[in-house]
Amino acid sequence: MYRKFYILLLASLLVAFLPSCKKSPVSKTLIITGQDDSHNWKASSSQLKLILDGTDLFSSEIMVTPEKGGDMQTFTPDFSKYDLIVLDYCGEDWPDETKTGFEDYVRNGGGVVIFHSSSIAFPDWKEYNEMTGLGGWNGRNEKDGPYVYYTWNKLVIDTTQGIAGSHGEQHEFEIRTRISDHPVTKDLPVRWMHGSDELYQQLRGPAKNMQVLATAFADTAFGGTGRHEPVLIAVNYYKGRIFHTTLGHAEDENSPAMHCTGFIVTLQRGAEWAATGNVTQKVPADFPTAAGAVQRTDLKEMTLAKAFENIGSYDIEKSTKYFTFLRDQIRKAEGDEKILVKLEKKMVDVLKDPNATNEAKKLILRELSWMGSNYCMPVIKSLESDPELADDVEFALNRLQK
Amino acid sequence: MTKKTSRRVFIRRSAAAAAGVFILPEIIPASAIGMGGKRAPGERIVMGAIGTGSQGMSNMRDFLDLKDAVQFVAVCDVDTRHLEEAKKTVDTANKNNDCRTYGDFREFLEKESLDAVSIALPDHWHGIIYTEAANKKLHVYGEKPICRTIKDGQAIVAAVKKNNIIWQTGSWQRSQAHFRRGAELVINGRAGEITYIEVGLPDGGRGIGTPPVIEVPPELNWEMWLGPALKVPYRGVCHWDWRWILDYSGGQLTDWAGHHVDIANWGAGLEHTGPVEISGKGVYPPEGIYDVPVEYDFICRYANGIEMRVANASRLKHGMGTTWYGDKGWIHTDRGNILTASDPKILEEVIGDEEIHLYKSENHWQNFVDSVRSGSQAIAPIEQAYRAISVGLLGEIAMTTGQTIYWDPEKEEIIDNPRASRLLNRPYRKPWIQPNI
Repeated sequence: MYRKFYILLLASLLVAFLPSCKKSPVSKTLIITGQDDSHNWKASSSQLKLILDGTDLFSSEIMVTPEKGGDMQTFTPDFSKYDLIVLDYCGEDWPDETKTGFEDYVRNGGGVVIFHSSSIAFPDWKEYNEMTGLGGWNGRNEKDGPYVYYTWNKLVIDTTQGIAGSHGEQHEFEIRTRISDHPVTKDLPVRWMHGSDELYQQLRGPAKNMQVLATAFADTAFGGTGRHEPVLIAVNYYKGRIFHTTLGHAEDENSPAMHCTGFIVTLQRGAEWAATGNVTQKVPADFPTAAGAVQRTDLKEMTLAKAFENIGSYDIEKSTKYFTFLRDQIRKAEGDEKILVKLEKKMVDVLKDPNATNEAKKLILRELSWMGSNYCMPVIKSLESDPELADDVEFALNRLQK
Repeated sequence: MTKKTSRRVFIRRSAAAAAGVFILPEIIPASAIGMGGKRAPGERIVMGAIGTGSQGMSNMRDFLDLKDAVQFVAVCDVDTRHLEEAKKTVDTANKNNDCRTYGDFREFLEKESLDAVSIALPDHWHGIIYTEAANKKLHVYGEKPICRTIKDGQAIVAAVKKNNIIWQTGSWQRSQAHFRRGAELVINGRAGEITYIEVGLPDGGRGIGTPPVIEVPPELNWEMWLGPALKVPYRGVCHWDWRWILDYSGGQLTDWAGHHVDIANWGAGLEHTGPVEISGKGVYPPEGIYDVPVEYDFICRYANGIEMRVANASRLKHGMGTTWYGDKGWIHTDRGNILTASDPKILEEVIGDEEIHLYKSENHWQNFVDSVRSGSQAIAPIEQAYRAISVGLLGEIAMTTGQTIYWDPEKEEIIDNPRASRLLNRPYRKPWIQPNI
């Protein structure tokens, strides 16, 4: 009798606690692609899905529109089933009914990501252009709105007549975060290098309820305008939120633009903001800086397990990423004893590992020298007799014993 | 101690010569004697230089530009190319071939009989060489930041004070009229009561990955260059670029804190204290041998309530330089003769006779020479330099630990955080012994 009662109590407690343990709800996501001749949409859409689903915040499916010249009237997705619509599409107009459905979806608070070539789509669809803020090509000009860009550090709304949309040759370029207190860009470096990409420039549009979150300098040496062109844009359209990234040109699955950690992370953050209004993701250790672009070959974020699996055998001439990841984890612990001790144990395992290189051990010793506890001392002392490590051991012990 | 110095120097040199302790070539070149309109050779300050790379040579040229104020007689560097260039410069100035060269500062300090020394070395060497030079009673022109760690800084300040030498920090912005004017307006309340200060320092630059280990070039004594720092194989990263590696420097932050934080402190009257609470974040490169933060942004709160934000320039409205914010407006100053204010009228204000007049120097190197002659304090003394770099170093600790750091500026201790406290020091590698207070 009592047992039954306790089981029931336990069950109800579990149910009561479950929601608080649950991660952020997964956003149902629809990626719409197809038709575009100048972009490899098969490659880009599959990568967008991998990038978004890689966060556990999205569950996405890809929908391909009818082929060019096909019957567009059959393209009638039910947007209301989704929390987020990602557009990787530049092709024929959608049927009016679908357009209206999309407008209603966004107006009622639906989230949208406008990706790269979608900056070019639908030049004559007024509401779409209000959602993207800025666009280019397809006959756009001054009738569609002003140019928007930054000079050195000033936002310019430029109504000069002229074409909209162009780009120079692909190259690595520096991106400058212009608004740092937006959920998408909070805690991002102010300056960071982006993998080789097309840099869209001379975009124009209604630019209403729009924030230019980041720009890139379009260097004239690469056929650029010499202006700081918007690359990440946030737009509010009625209750809906639109994240617009002009980045991510893909010739195939290996494009440096889509494998750039900066692209991946801003897309993930922008998508979360568009879908929910918040960003819960932390800026990862491998987010690029002004020091250089960073690529994720598998599109995935480093994990602690992966870092410690590799850190001991680590050839620093190839990469220091495992070690810089560890340092980032230590910083992110913000002095939390439990996290630091957990990291310390794993670091001590590397010191104990006969297969770990001295190079790795030396770097571990430097970190332990300040963040270690008594736990690491015996193992550090045991390395004292190794002439290769003696100086580094003494350095660590000297600090730890203070 | 006014006027004592030159006599003390004279006596020491004469005594040494009389005792025949050093057998050295005549330090006053014959060519200098009897040249019209020049200072008598005996009144020139006899100097040596330790560290004759880019900044060391720049300082030496600034001293030589003073015309007959100083005479260099010896130079010391761990790179023979640096030594050759320095000797050539000195010999040309002295019109002889007598400049002595040393690869080891210990021999330099032991053998040379000097009045003063100009020192420009990587930060990890400052602790030992600044204190050794002070203990030899040499007056020092020393490059900023004066220390790599708080502990080194404390030892240097103590040595300079104990030996009662003249110290000039290479924070030459103090000797520029517009920086002084900005600080003087602020300290006299022309921006009102200061509540907030922004200090913009340079952004970090591109990385280089991790270059391969290569043979040490014959001209470089790599072991001596590393000195008290941990031993690492030579990867071709040495002169100049040591600044991007944490073993030797804190990056742009610690390089420049000695300039713009120093100016901020000067104007806000914070020269003899430090913050009580420091918190902020750094952005670190994910890849490569350069591991200093490329971006940084932290806030220091002082006991009197003033908050100072120190960040890489791209994060701040005014970019590089110092901006003081008071209840009557703001004043901003930077290199390139920049002095601006929220209201241009502030800049026309006259500072009355009864108000605070900051120390005035029109030439940083001349000021050092004058101070050595007169025995009075130079414009950029050691304590002020230590307080300026402390801000950078405490910011570095806050960013490294990811924590808010509580600092006691009187006892010069981190409060209640043993882990962060360990970062106040970088232990020295044998056989080098860390200077103590």
